[in-house]
Amino acid sequence: MEGGVVTTLHGAGGAESWVIVEKLIRGKVPGNLWRVLGGVGLDALDDGSYIVVGDSFIVFTSDSYTVKPIFFPGGDIGGLAASGVLNDLVMMGARPVAFMDNIVVEEGFPLRDLEAVVGSMVKTLVDNNVALIGGDFKVMPRGEVDGIVISGFAIGVSVKPPIVDSVKPGDKIVVTNYIAEHGATILAAQLGMLEDAKGLRSDAKPLVKTILPVLEKYRDGVNAARDPTRGGLAATLNEWARSSGLTIIVDRGSIPVRIEVAEFLEMLGVDPLTLASEGVAVLSVRSSIVDDVVEELRRNGENPSVIGEVVEPRSSELAGKVLAVTEVGGLTMIPPNAYNLPRIC
Amino acid sequence: MRALRIVVTGLVQGVGFRPFIDRLVRQIGLNGFVRNVGGSEVEIWVEGDEEGLYEFLAALFNEKPPPALIDEVVFEEESPLGYNGFTILKSGESRILRSNIPPDFAVCKHCLEEVLDPSNRRYMYPFNSCAWCGPRFSMMYRSPYDRENTSMAKYVLCEDCMREYRDPSNVRRHHAQGISCPRDGPRLTLYDRGFTRIDVGDPLVEAARLIDEGYIVAVKGLGGYHIASLATDDDVVQRLRERKRRPRKPFAVMGLDTSILELLVYMDEADREVLESPQAPILLLPKREDSPVSRLVSPGLSHEGVFIAYTPLHFILLMHTRDKFLVMTSGNVSGEPMCRDDECARSKLSQIVDFFLVHDRDIVNRVDDSVLRKTGGEYVLLRRSRGFAPAWIKIPVRLEREVVAFGGDLNNTGGVGFEDKVVLTQYIGDLESYNAQVELLNAIEYMVRNYGVSLRDSVIVVDKHPLYHSRRLGVEYAERHGIPVVEVQHHYAHVLGAAIDRGLSGRVAGLAVDGVGWGDDSTVWGGEILVFDAGKPGAYRRVASIDHIPLTSDKDTLKPARLVYGYLARKGWNLDEVVKVVGVRDPRVLSEARVVFRMVDLGRYTLASSTGRLIDMVAALLNPSIERSFEGEPAIWLESLAHSGTPRLLEGVRFFIDDGVMRLDYYGLVTNIIEMRGAVEPGVLAASFLYSLGYYYGELIAGTVKGEGVSSVVVSGGAAVNEYLYKGLKERLTLEGLEPLLPRNIPPGDGGLSFGQVVAGGLIRLT
Ligand SMILES: [Fe+3]
Ligand SMILES: [Mg+2]
Ligand SMILES: [Zn+2]
Ligand SMILES: [Zn+2]
Repeated sequence: MEGGVVTTLHGAGGAESWVIVEKLIRGKVPGNLWRVLGGVGLDALDDGSYIVVGDSFIVFTSDSYTVKPIFFPGGDIGGLAASGVLNDLVMMGARPVAFMDNIVVEEGFPLRDLEAVVGSMVKTLVDNNVALIGGDFKVMPRGEVDGIVISGFAIGVSVKPPIVDSVKPGDKIVVTNYIAEHGATILAAQLGMLEDAKGLRSDAKPLVKTILPVLEKYRDGVNAARDPTRGGLAATLNEWARSSGLTIIVDRGSIPVRIEVAEFLEMLGVDPLTLASEGVAVLSVRSSIVDDVVEELRRNGENPSVIGEVVEPRSSELAGKVLAVTEVGGLTMIPPNAYNLPRIC
Repeated sequence: MRALRIVVTGLVQGVGFRPFIDRLVRQIGLNGFVRNVGGSEVEIWVEGDEEGLYEFLAALFNEKPPPALIDEVVFEEESPLGYNGFTILKSGESRILRSNIPPDFAVCKHCLEEVLDPSNRRYMYPFNSCAWCGPRFSMMYRSPYDRENTSMAKYVLCEDCMREYRDPSNVRRHHAQGISCPRDGPRLTLYDRGFTRIDVGDPLVEAARLIDEGYIVAVKGLGGYHIASLATDDDVVQRLRERKRRPRKPFAVMGLDTSILELLVYMDEADREVLESPQAPILLLPKREDSPVSRLVSPGLSHEGVFIAYTPLHFILLMHTRDKFLVMTSGNVSGEPMCRDDECARSKLSQIVDFFLVHDRDIVNRVDDSVLRKTGGEYVLLRRSRGFAPAWIKIPVRLEREVVAFGGDLNNTGGVGFEDKVVLTQYIGDLESYNAQVELLNAIEYMVRNYGVSLRDSVIVVDKHPLYHSRRLGVEYAERHGIPVVEVQHHYAHVLGAAIDRGLSGRVAGLAVDGVGWGDDSTVWGGEILVFDAGKPGAYRRVASIDHIPLTSDKDTLKPARLVYGYLARKGWNLDEVVKVVGVRDPRVLSEARVVFRMVDLGRYTLASSTGRLIDMVAALLNPSIERSFEGEPAIWLESLAHSGTPRLLEGVRFFIDDGVMRLDYYGLVTNIIEMRGAVEPGVLAASFLYSLGYYYGELIAGTVKGEGVSSVVVSGGAAVNEYLYKGLKERLTLEGLEPLLPRNIPPGDGGLSFGQVVAGGLIRLT
């Protein structure tokens, strides 16, 4: 990365983001300081980190949110930030208990809007019985921050060891609901296309009530859990394949994409697998219990599908790769790239 | 008494060369031996009187077997060892020099005569072959071409065949490695679509009967599976299109021989020779108005892709059909490589065909049919595979190191290079398919092993496109072997390849007219003039290019009307005007227009100086609903349309300098076409646009190469084969005393990319 500058690609959750995290951050920290108190941290690079206190596992996570527009169909940046941070705890199998916020606002930001986004953040926390135990609020001079940035930090508790993603051969890949809803909605809003692309709505929601109980109940058979936000399903699956050295094969036709979303993205030439969901989990589940997990998720109001499986790589080139069986029976690779350049000659 | 040790390289193995030498030596009365050597050239030791040796050397060149090609003969005088008689020795172990792996040859006329002779023991034998013809590369596990190295090894020669094999007077079968007969050779079986064997007397005759009844039959052939069906019945062709999910891409038509094909297309003597050559390629020829072929075979196109039965199996099959010609298309699932084994056929083709006609000889290397067309009266390769690959192409320069190149992503071929030779793999296909990626790796491995490429001293060449699978595969390959990777710009590989192929050495202007290739400036290129030194590759200067079209994604390529929305948006048109130009009414298409318009408005696009996209955009102006269901469809459609009009030079282009690059601005050309659409015949507009584009490319070259010392012009890239573009270019360049040279031995499209990559990788200075 000598001589270059940071581009939006570096933050898009694809291979470029990985380079930043790996080389610029983790590489500079001595290995003995990657984790403390019997827990995991930078060694796992999962949704969150934990330490062990007595018989309990205390799980931490933090994330920051910028989104254009701030209000979008299905939510706003406040609710998005709260549910996004809580979901990272859920994906570790931890029950969220406390939250702290960091709000940076641009001078001139409408008070009414501030009240609305903070309101939906607080409501999300209250609905899920999570305490707001502190935070910080800053105002930046006009032009030095774009509107508003909300960061959240949260603490969760788990009695069992948290889910540190580690997919196993034979696992089935479960997606808990329609994907790419949030990403498609934001894209449509940015293009001024919400009028045309009717029926688009962000799926941003906390997964504390519908998915956490399932993860707690089937903890032993869930080998990995992740919310496919930046970079979408493609990024999540590729990260799992790469870190395990295994192959993940998915059936493209069984990946749930709502028709409105599919048609809109088709017009854009954007692959739904690369777009963010904010209310979906991807699970890697031991095959013997996958039917039970799916059943339980459905009972809780989710709409789960089994989309593929984890296998031993058939050849060395296949290690760490994600493949898709296409609708016509072909086999293609799903690359981790979160961007979209013309390739066809 | 004198003795000579002679080493012959070229295409000398697997073509009946040793039996030929053996017979020649006996005729003249010399002694010694002949043998294939490991890497696969032929070593000859002859001793006798001086006169006899001279006679031998002369005959070596003048009387060689038809498919043999001699690149080089090295001989040294030795002291006679007193050999008694002459023998064909077993292949030597040690390699002296490298030599060619023989490609597959179409059945020769002698073998066909035997098949048609009721008194011959090979009467109606589908696998007849001899030293001059038959499968080679497609059945070779490894080099050299000896029977035990091929999938014929499991068939043990009967006494009659053995007698022929040992008989020095039998020119075509003495030591011919692949021969067989009905007693000892491969067998045919007919299966139903569930792959259950059907008991019939003659599976071949029964398959012909089923095809005549309108069934679709998969036929395991030489380099893979074909799918055969009637070409004259609309319902059958339509059914095949539906089952193959291939709405419009043309099917090839195989005829019994050229006289049958003459009922379908117009051909001249040279075309006939090409069709009947040992390569027996598919050749695109103009359709006859009274052709009996269903219009659904190549809907809306002016030309038909035709070839002749190139194995006895195909010949006998066609002989027993009513029409004597059939649709013969590759047996694959859309986008996937053609099947070459039963497992693939069973799992993938049973959705498409009703029956399978299968033989039990393994196809070791998949080899697709090669495809040629004519541009400016010359033959150009569209796909270089069966009959050509993997024989090497000699180049007029010596590579400084050995090279492995991974090609592009569409129509992929890989390549290896050593000494003054480049070997391209057989056609691999579209690397979007994972199976095609595996085949590329296997094909490269095959060439590396059998041509003895020393990986330790090699470089790996990849394209610059950050998302190309070929690039990733090449980089991973280099990492596995711990060797350096060199990136070569797409269009430089195209034009350098063309220049080397045409034997140029001085300063060359290369015109790349192409679809999408990643440029040096993170934009997409495809309409570039690069000036370079063909003798000292490495540096090039991009002196000119066409102006940009914004691309929002690959969707714009699949639906060319989107190119119009985006291009006009960037030219400052408003959405209503754009929508009117394209004539959009359907609300969904209207939404799409708005999406593209907005994306361009907001700067979410990649700039592309792409000829392919410009042609696509003009195709959409003349036919807004056009979609690309196969590679190059809009351009092929536009060229077909152009045949109904006469080209004239359109006005409206402008040249300007931008960042040191001379740009051709075609906006005026586009607006002219928009205005003339109602008043001028579409065929005239199509022909005139393509011709004018070529003409102004010529003008761009004329204007930018002054003072560059350029003596030759090459043109390459996927759009270079366009008849009218080439014509315009040629006519403009003629005014400058220049002539645009197309590559001859490699495809101008991305199937030839690896050739230029190998040359560049073998010659540029490594930093
Ligand atoms: Fe190209
Ligand atoms: Mg997790
Ligand atoms: Zn023959
Ligand atoms: Zn025999």
